[in-house]
Amino acid sequence: MMITDPAAQQTAVTTSRISLSGVHKRFGDLEVLKGVDVDVESGEVVVLIGASGSGKSTLLRIMCDLERADSGEVWVGGVPLHDRKRAPEIFGHVGMVFQQFNLFPHKTALGNVMLALLKVRKLGRAEAEERGRAALKRVGLDTKADSYPAQLSGGQQQRVAIARALAMDPAIMFFDEPTSALDPELVGEVTGVMRSLAEEGMTMVVVTHEMRFAKDTADRVIFMDGGVVLEQGPPERVFGSPAEARTQQFLHRVLDT
Amino acid sequence: MDWSVIWSNHDLYLSGLWSTVLMSLAAIATATLLGLVVAAIRTSRIPVLSQVARAYLEVFRGTPLLIQMLFIYFGAAYLSGFGITVFGAALLALTLYQGAYIAEIFRAGIEAVPRGQWEAARVLGLPRTQTFVGVILPQTRAIVLPPLVGQYLSLIKDTSIAVVIGYVELVRQGQAVIDRVGSPATSYVAVAVLYFVICYPLSLLVRHMERKAVTA
Ligand SMILES: Nc1ncnc2c1ncn2[C@@H]1O[C@H](COP(=O)(O)OP(=O)(O)O)[C@@H](O)[C@H]1O
Ligand SMILES: [Mg+2]
Repeated sequence: MMITDPAAQQTAVTTSRISLSGVHKRFGDLEVLKGVDVDVESGEVVVLIGASGSGKSTLLRIMCDLERADSGEVWVGGVPLHDRKRAPEIFGHVGMVFQQFNLFPHKTALGNVMLALLKVRKLGRAEAEERGRAALKRVGLDTKADSYPAQLSGGQQQRVAIARALAMDPAIMFFDEPTSALDPELVGEVTGVMRSLAEEGMTMVVVTHEMRFAKDTADRVIFMDGGVVLEQGPPERVFGSPAEARTQQFLHRVLDT
Repeated sequence: MDWSVIWSNHDLYLSGLWSTVLMSLAAIATATLLGLVVAAIRTSRIPVLSQVARAYLEVFRGTPLLIQMLFIYFGAAYLSGFGITVFGAALLALTLYQGAYIAEIFRAGIEAVPRGQWEAARVLGLPRTQTFVGVILPQTRAIVLPPLVGQYLSLIKDTSIAVVIGYVELVRQGQAVIDRVGSPATSYVAVAVLYFVICYPLSLLVRHMERKAVTA
């Protein structure tokens, strides 16, 4: 079995841009994406909103090659993910933050952050540890380096997960409902870290129900409905005067509760 | 019962005990390795290979170890003319038979690890084998270890089946003593006690791990 190391091809990921066109995806009989076009510029922060089951996660997972589109073109960071041979080049060059954190439970916070630096970037221990600690510091958890995930609060765990992704120096960061599994009082510490990343110019695509985060951090909001992008624009416009009735209904529902 | 028979033949029992321990240790090592590889293949869903792994499991769990051992020993002798050593045939049969059970133990452990662990590792760029060894396997310990050690217990007892192809282990040496001086009941009790001495600590270990797994 040949295993090519995608990270060895350091030149592959050259931009932070994303361009999807005509993306279709079905699971069995269920057509989840019915021709999606999305472009994200370098440094842009895009928030994806939409009802549960509207395909937001699927779209995000296609952008980091955890799912493969049935048809359409998917360019992420200069890599054509629709080309099966070249798609793995993306691994190790984009970061993904999951709703369930997906930290490695048998490793400390620092161990989580260092693993890919050692095994994918092939750094020496000292350098990996230095970069790992720096990443933990960026999320305000340098004092928790030796804690195991189970010893941390949900908010802290999610910040470690963000640090783990950041340590790889990703071209783009994806977030799939990063605060949905958190107690309400812990949401702020995670959105706070995300906000500072946005201010530093990180290219980000975020699925979230935190409308406040969308309003004050997003450059653009995309509303997904029925497997297509129904409406998109600056947050003031989409939240202030949504063009589509479906968008109005959705916003009504989430903003009221 | 005349227990002096045991003492006067203790060198035979000890040499039998040693052969049993040797075979057990060797088979534990090879069967665990085989089980791991087969479980990795089974859970990888690699098209043809995983079907082959499945066929292997069905064959070796669906037939008696005794038959497998005879088949391997005499089959090899027939095929190659000069055959395989008794130790080699017994080890191979034990490995294939126990490896099938151990593979399923590992598979259960691997499948209990959330898919998100694979996905997180994949986006980070970790190769599959690296993920399997460094991320997934360590998380299977609590689920895998108790049944694995339990399986080792049955493997140790299964080494006695190697008697049928002439491997001189504990049971065979017990019989040798009987051939020499009679007293079959005494001799077999001695053999049983020696098995118990090897196995009981492992049983205790399993119980300890199960208790820890429940309270954890
Ligand atoms: N791997 C899968 N297999 C089958 N159905 C899936 C799979 N992933 C998602 N789905 C279905 O696709 C639809 C869209 O899911 P998802 O992209 O998770 O939506 P959202 O994130 O907007 O809630 C849902 O109906 C979901 O049940
Ligand atoms: Mg989702």
